[in-house]
Amino acid sequence: MEEQRAGPVSEEEVVAPAISVSKATRRFGDLVAVDELSFKVHPGEVFGLLGPNGAGKTTAIHLITGLLRRHGGEVRVLGSDPEKDSRRVRQQIGYVPQETNVYLDLSATDNLWHHAALYCQELSVVGNRIRDLLHLVDLWERRKDAVGTFSGGMKRRLALARALLHDPDLILFDEPTLGVDVQARHVLWEHVRSQQAAGKTFVVSTNDMAEADALCDRVLIIDHGREIALDSPERLKAELGRDIVTLRTSPPVQDPERLFAGLGVQAVSRSEPDQLRLEVRDAESIVGALFSRVATDHRLESVRIARPTLDDVFLHYTGRALRE
Amino acid sequence: MSRFGLLLRNELKLFRTAVPIHAVAILQPTVLYLLMSAILVHPTFEMNVAQPTTDAGHELLEAMEHVGSPIGLPYIEPVLVTFDRGPVARQVVVVEDQDDHPVAVQYFGLVDSNLVKNYRNRLTAAGLRLWNEELGRQAVLVEEHAWLPQDMPYTVYFGMALLPMAVFVAASFLGAVLIAQEFEFRTILEYRLAPLSPAWILGARMARLLLLALVAGALVSIALGLRSDAWPDLPWLVALILLPVGLIAGCLGTLAGLLLRRTIPAFLVGLVASFVGWIMGSGFGLAAGFGEWYDRLSRLTPFTHAVELLFPRYFGAVIGRPALSVAYLLLVSAAMLAATVAVYRWRVTRQAP
Repeated sequence: MEEQRAGPVSEEEVVAPAISVSKATRRFGDLVAVDELSFKVHPGEVFGLLGPNGAGKTTAIHLITGLLRRHGGEVRVLGSDPEKDSRRVRQQIGYVPQETNVYLDLSATDNLWHHAALYCQELSVVGNRIRDLLHLVDLWERRKDAVGTFSGGMKRRLALARALLHDPDLILFDEPTLGVDVQARHVLWEHVRSQQAAGKTFVVSTNDMAEADALCDRVLIIDHGREIALDSPERLKAELGRDIVTLRTSPPVQDPERLFAGLGVQAVSRSEPDQLRLEVRDAESIVGALFSRVATDHRLESVRIARPTLDDVFLHYTGRALRE
Repeated sequence: MSRFGLLLRNELKLFRTAVPIHAVAILQPTVLYLLMSAILVHPTFEMNVAQPTTDAGHELLEAMEHVGSPIGLPYIEPVLVTFDRGPVARQVVVVEDQDDHPVAVQYFGLVDSNLVKNYRNRLTAAGLRLWNEELGRQAVLVEEHAWLPQDMPYTVYFGMALLPMAVFVAASFLGAVLIAQEFEFRTILEYRLAPLSPAWILGARMARLLLLALVAGALVSIALGLRSDAWPDLPWLVALILLPVGLIAGCLGTLAGLLLRRTIPAFLVGLVASFVGWIMGSGFGLAAGFGEWYDRLSRLTPFTHAVELLFPRYFGAVIGRPALSVAYLLLVSAAMLAATVAVYRWRVTRQAP
């Protein structure tokens, strides 16, 4: 039988959010890493924390796990305060940190047994669960090998299996595919989706737009510890209400505002001397007119029409690209 | 399997993360003992004696064979050699005729002053025996009242005093390195988020350290038995005495690892504590024999207390105040354990402020 993707519980259905963060603040000296951040994560959704390096994503995750104390605001995880009721919260969350922290000299199975001793309440079922999870993440054949011989993707899959071992309701996944090759990242995304279908809630921290786009039901874009935008990737992109047309001409267009006047171009920027980036409401309807105006005095070297990405969303709100 | 059993099994499997450190920590004291026992002073000395050609020479040789402790071993084992007045290996005794008087002449090779003293004392004792035979009732009589029922060979004392050091080295080295390594490899995060009481985690860690420390101690004990035929009368009691020493060392090492979070500095703390404690704590002789202040200082370490408790097991005599030593070891163990749990909570479990 085909597995059904459970998907997130809608806002109306939600009685208690899996995570509720309200005006959470965390400082490191003078640096405000998380600045009055507020958001809710619904049970069963994959929620993305998207932002550039140093935006405060990992700090936000550490506030959720209770690894860091907040300097203001409130955090509730599955109904409990991670600072005051840390043991209960830790029992219900699985955490895959940014740096894969598995024992390289132990086998995959031994790594999971080590985790079981620390986290699992019911030890009698652990053996079967380890077998199932190693099958799930396709590591059963390598279960006896030292983890030091694994690829980056395999280590991440093992870390995910480990985080799932004690059957937590909520999994916090910090930079899931950092340093992982393209093929392996798709495998990891599949594992996240299959676990979501099984009812797990995920919070994924990433600075990878494609990852957030492919994986997350909703994303919170943060920068300098503050909320920039919060919605589903589709809505965030749709809210921009424009397509991106990138033209490369020879010679470069000198006065694009005059050349494209009256065509509904909303913004023009120059990413390279001979390359123009135009934001238009509906690229398909004006592309013919654009070409004919350019062709009058220039040779068109290349043209690309793109729907907005989350990077464009970030650019729109902050004036700079996500990876800058 | 119970949780503690599983934790302990995992702890033992983590052996694979630091194989060289385990080898050094467990084997080093035994290697040290075997090397030291080869150069340490044995009660029975081999003394080279030039083949006697006169009656006086034969009489001296006979007297040398009779010199010894009244409660134990002979002090001299004469080895007859041919002496040609060339370079001397260690030492040789030659009976020469000077102005018609027999004179025992001692020639030395390249030996230190301590060995010179030992050779000289033994020859003097043999000479005294000869002299006394000449003097008859006018002889100088020496009465000895031994404190122990039998001689205490230094090699055996050294090996016995090495037992607490072996246990301490193993537990402190491994305790320090293993926890510091967790910080360096970031695996400490597994422990930081674990919804399990630190008592379970540290309990399993300490059990592992004690097990390995006792293995290190057992190896020294076996080496001591094989080398000097000195076996404790109650091996289980020896293990029991060494347990609190291992616990104190394991806690010290773990504390160093938790506070320093770096393998090399934590390892050095274990190393320095082990060797300073061993030297101060009756490692080379009973502390009481080095003066009052030394004795007092040495009682601050667990070593002297352990040595005094081990002493009856090897030499059959009670020394020091055993009840006080037991109380010291138990109290310090409990205090160190409490400190380790507190620092573990501070460094690992508690949220960063």
